[in-house]
Amino acid sequence: MSGDDGWYEAAFVVGITNALNVVADGLGAAVMAPVEPDSAPPDVAAVFAEIRGFYASAAPGGALGGGEIPTPFGIIAHDAAYLADVWAAVKRAFTDRRLTRRLKTALAFAVSLTTRSAFGTAFHLAELRRLGVGEGGIREIIGVTQMFSSYTKIADTLQLSSDMADIAPVDRTGVPNAGAG
Amino acid sequence: MPTVRLRDASEYPEPARRLFELSRQWFDYDFKEPPAMSRVMAWDPHFGGPHGRAMKRAMADGEFSRGEKEMVAAAVSGANACTY
Repeated sequence: MSGDDGWYEAAFVVGITNALNVVADGLGAAVMAPVEPDSAPPDVAAVFAEIRGFYASAAPGGALGGGEIPTPFGIIAHDAAYLADVWAAVKRAFTDRRLTRRLKTALAFAVSLTTRSAFGTAFHLAELRRLGVGEGGIREIIGVTQMFSSYTKIADTLQLSSDMADIAPVDRTGVPNAGAG
Repeated sequence: MPTVRLRDASEYPEPARRLFELSRQWFDYDFKEPPAMSRVMAWDPHFGGPHGRAMKRAMADGEFSRGEKEMVAAAVSGANACTY
């Protein structure tokens, strides 16, 4: 896993996953009503259609069935422009690029589990299964999450400083041109 | 500054030092001193040994590669706000 581009992609996935989880866990469950797809204005409905496609097209028989809008998108859809920008960032973050969508979903699942996000854990677990990851693969991610939730707390309790950064090669390449998009 | 004084590898008894060789093999890197976490775990091989074996089982190539799992581990560490 060499090259910085993959790490940037991973960081963006972790960040935007946390952003979705914060809204879903904090404001879902009837604290705030989401925009319902049936009554959404046209600009919101267009984004909802993209969201459905993204979460239903990666594998046959998608868990969302092309119907549901994940909670955090519904909640922020009262501002169509904001929804569109957040969705664009989410889609960009999770799209296959240097890292596969499968790995990115595993990262999102691990981070959701680590941060005790009920929404994110269930959502990305369903996504992993929909993307074809078997129960063994899911248990692998749970194992890594569990063991590094131990290591990190041991390191923090003893206030250890990082002493392993030098073993990785430094990426001396420039910034890729991703376009102005 | 660590809460404890991290001992040099030479201060550890021989059975504990075997964990350092396993650490060198795992990371495929010749450390001047074993990583701080390796030295912490070697403090009590009856804890560090099984903990390390569980970690290696979790990190081994499976449906996900070890490289992919290292990235998951980094994300989990970030979510835990752990700089180590």
